[in-house]
Amino acid sequence: MSARTWFPLLLIVLALSGVAWAVLRVQLPPADFTFVNESEVASVDPALITGVPEGRICSAIFEGLTRNRSDNLEPELGMASSWEISDDRRTYTFHIRPDAEWSNGEPVTAHDFQYSLRRLLDPLTASRYAYLAWYIKNGKRYTSGGSGLAEGDPVEVELNPPADVPNTVRGKLQYGTLVRVDAGKPDAAGESNARDRVYVVEIDGKVRQFQAADEDQLLPEGIEPCRQVLFESRKLGIRVIDDLTLEIELENPTPYWLDLLAFYPLAPVNKGCLEKYGAPAWTRPENIVTNGAFLLTERRLRDRIRLTRSPVYWDRDNVRLNVIDALSIDDRTTAVNLYLTGKADWVTAPPPVVLREMLAKKPPPNDVKPVPQLTTYYYMVNTTRPPVNDVRVRRALSLALDREEITRVATAAGEVPAFSLVPPAMPGYKSQSFPPRNPELARKLLAEAGYPGGRGFPKLEIHYNTDQGHQAIAELARKQWQRELGINVTLRNEEWASAQDTQQQMDYMLSRRSWTGDYLDPNTYLDLFVTDGENNSTGFSNAEYDQLIADAAREPDETKRMHMLERAERILMDQLPIIPIYYYVSRNLVKPYVRGWYNNLQDIHPLNTIWIDHSVDMNAPQPNEYSRELP
Amino acid sequence: MTGFIVRRMLAMVTTLWVVFTVSFFLMRAVPGGPYSGDRNLPPEIEENFKHRYRLDLPLHEQYLVQLTDAVTGDLGMSQRLYDFNVNQVIAQGLPISAALGILAMAFALTLGITAGIVSAAYRGSIADVALMSVATIGIALPSFVVAGLAILLFVFMIPIFPAAGWGTFRQLVLPAVCLGALYAAEIARITRTSMLDVLSQDHIRTARAKGLGQAAVLLRHALPGALLPVVSFLGPATAGILTGSVVIEKIFAIPGLGWHFVQAALQRDYTLTMGLVLLYTFLLFTLNFLVDLSYRILDPRVELS
Repeated sequence: MSARTWFPLLLIVLALSGVAWAVLRVQLPPADFTFVNESEVASVDPALITGVPEGRICSAIFEGLTRNRSDNLEPELGMASSWEISDDRRTYTFHIRPDAEWSNGEPVTAHDFQYSLRRLLDPLTASRYAYLAWYIKNGKRYTSGGSGLAEGDPVEVELNPPADVPNTVRGKLQYGTLVRVDAGKPDAAGESNARDRVYVVEIDGKVRQFQAADEDQLLPEGIEPCRQVLFESRKLGIRVIDDLTLEIELENPTPYWLDLLAFYPLAPVNKGCLEKYGAPAWTRPENIVTNGAFLLTERRLRDRIRLTRSPVYWDRDNVRLNVIDALSIDDRTTAVNLYLTGKADWVTAPPPVVLREMLAKKPPPNDVKPVPQLTTYYYMVNTTRPPVNDVRVRRALSLALDREEITRVATAAGEVPAFSLVPPAMPGYKSQSFPPRNPELARKLLAEAGYPGGRGFPKLEIHYNTDQGHQAIAELARKQWQRELGINVTLRNEEWASAQDTQQQMDYMLSRRSWTGDYLDPNTYLDLFVTDGENNSTGFSNAEYDQLIADAAREPDETKRMHMLERAERILMDQLPIIPIYYYVSRNLVKPYVRGWYNNLQDIHPLNTIWIDHSVDMNAPQPNEYSRELP
Repeated sequence: MTGFIVRRMLAMVTTLWVVFTVSFFLMRAVPGGPYSGDRNLPPEIEENFKHRYRLDLPLHEQYLVQLTDAVTGDLGMSQRLYDFNVNQVIAQGLPISAALGILAMAFALTLGITAGIVSAAYRGSIADVALMSVATIGIALPSFVVAGLAILLFVFMIPIFPAAGWGTFRQLVLPAVCLGALYAAEIARITRTSMLDVLSQDHIRTARAKGLGQAAVLLRHALPGALLPVVSFLGPATAGILTGSVVIEKIFAIPGLGWHFVQAALQRDYTLTMGLVLLYTFLLFTLNFLVDLSYRILDPRVELS
């Protein structure tokens, strides 16, 4: 045989065996329960993530001091088997279960929580959710690093660790008192880099100078390099009483603290595992050590995460699923195809057209049951830019909007028109709303502001991130405003990352946003709009509002606190730095044979209570927990 | 021959460097960054985040550091998939995209060349017109339409294939066929045109005059020469197909590289975008090089110089 004959043959054989290898090496036995977990998760490190898909995985593999009840999400015993709260409601003493174990067999101790909470706060961890631990005494000062320090503060200087240790190991700590901070040389823009600051610290009676720098970096005479200078971590409100007793002291009485502890950023991670493998290698399925109901056994990018029941979890007898697959599928139609062909048991965000079709059936199938959610869709208003810096214009815009038309035409699952920022479903709180639609009054306000009949009104621009749904809503708003107010409205869309940037730079007039509460309390919405809040982005600043939010945080009396928050929202709804449009409803497809899956206000569905019951009658009314009404 | 290879290598290194430079500055010219999120970061934390990925350095220093790393084969940590480095993302996705691509290409070649030969041999017949009409439609139809129709037909109406996913041979069929369909159509048209060209040449008349049968004339004497344009088309097409098709991978939930490409760019994952762009450049160059080499095998008259 000549080369011209056997070479192509060889190529074909090689290519086909390559294909077979790529397919066969990933074969897995089927899972008991499969759900579509939307996008690929950014990480399984609970300190680094913020997204909902990530949360589903991390809440299944890690567990905090408390955990969420599946049905109403109230905090129940998790890693803690009991706790005491001091009379001023600022000090919590947690007793950790003696039978709480890590997946490598080590006991879970108070030290693990001290380690993990400090790590969450460490500015080097760069956690987006660090602010949830700022309720802990001195937490914010710790995360703020150099800029949170004042003269005379107790500080810790973290020296550079040796080059050969994993990146998760801290350098040696030197404790001292801050004498002063010398700002670095300002650059061309007149700003000095935080990394050029020189910290003058008194340690054991000796005054030394430190700067955050690598060991080999050339520094001026007398300045020692270090990794960072922070507020002293021993002064944080986290104290280990003994191996199984942890005391947490808060800045303020925080009535939702036990709820927060069930949230994944505050879950513990295993110090031994982190320091052995370093980041991010510790998160690999073969290395990771976890303490939750499930183990992470397989992780394939853009394919699936496989979870298996933990044999050491304290409540393992009540966990009924042995193997769970969380599929990472971006395409919503594909997700529905898998659901319809029986390859997925739960789909989280089906396309609106599918939902609309299913809900139109009489009676709607048991697979779908939208319920109100604690998420508000709104337009932010740039209150620094004319003409929308005039509150009369903002009120006119809000009054002229026909929200019923928007929710009827542009959304699919019975979303509710919004007249407040905090959704009315928030328990124990009375949402403060602005007046309903009134085009007559809107025109009058606009005329008062100097634009009778919309004359002279500059072009109003609605900015949103590229998405069909957002576009449909913006087009309706444009049509309504042009019709009712006679003003000219344009639309501008940008893809997601650019849109985020535009909002942060306040380079917009009206911009779309939605906000989901991090915890079950109105504060998670209202503290957005304090002066210079990181997520304010509207330029809104009101001294009375700031004072009310700050006072409410310190108020131990629950009724008074809620009252203060209501007064704050009243101000917000009078000033309208945002124009609420609608409140979300949940949009899940769940197979009727899935049991232990509950609808709730935050659309959080712990996996540990779910089980499969093929004996249910799929078409009977309300065959499972999901299809029942919210209590 | 050696000179040819050395020159090609030099050209590749230069191209990779130019692509690196252009991509680097283009990426940073668009607003946003790897730290963009729907919850804004407190300034201290944003600073540390930037420091971790060396985004706090002046632009030219970032460029030098990343270029040095890339030269040594370190494409860096992904800036959006925090638990992976770029090499790991490629190692997971490339075999899958490549496997799907090979199957799709095999399907496209078999169907495309056969259709092209038949069309050319029976030029002007009903078969020719029908095949070429189908090919034209195939080129004109976007792949999401083809995929949508295929799913409707073979998943829901005649349920013989799974809707999506990766892990069994049955899951491969629909995506491979949908991905290959477009290439099959192109190949059929190219084959037909160049077959007609070759069939009008003198050596074919000689072969016929010697009394050779239709099959022998078409397959042994006309086809090798007619394949040259097909082979030229295969170079860039294979590079594209190996790095994954965005649409097909998304619709069929194939965990290949194609969807990473789009997501990395949209989410400003600078390192992953760069890694994928460099990978694509490298594959494109290598495959074009292989195409040039194969010319020599197909046509002894070609001199590599």
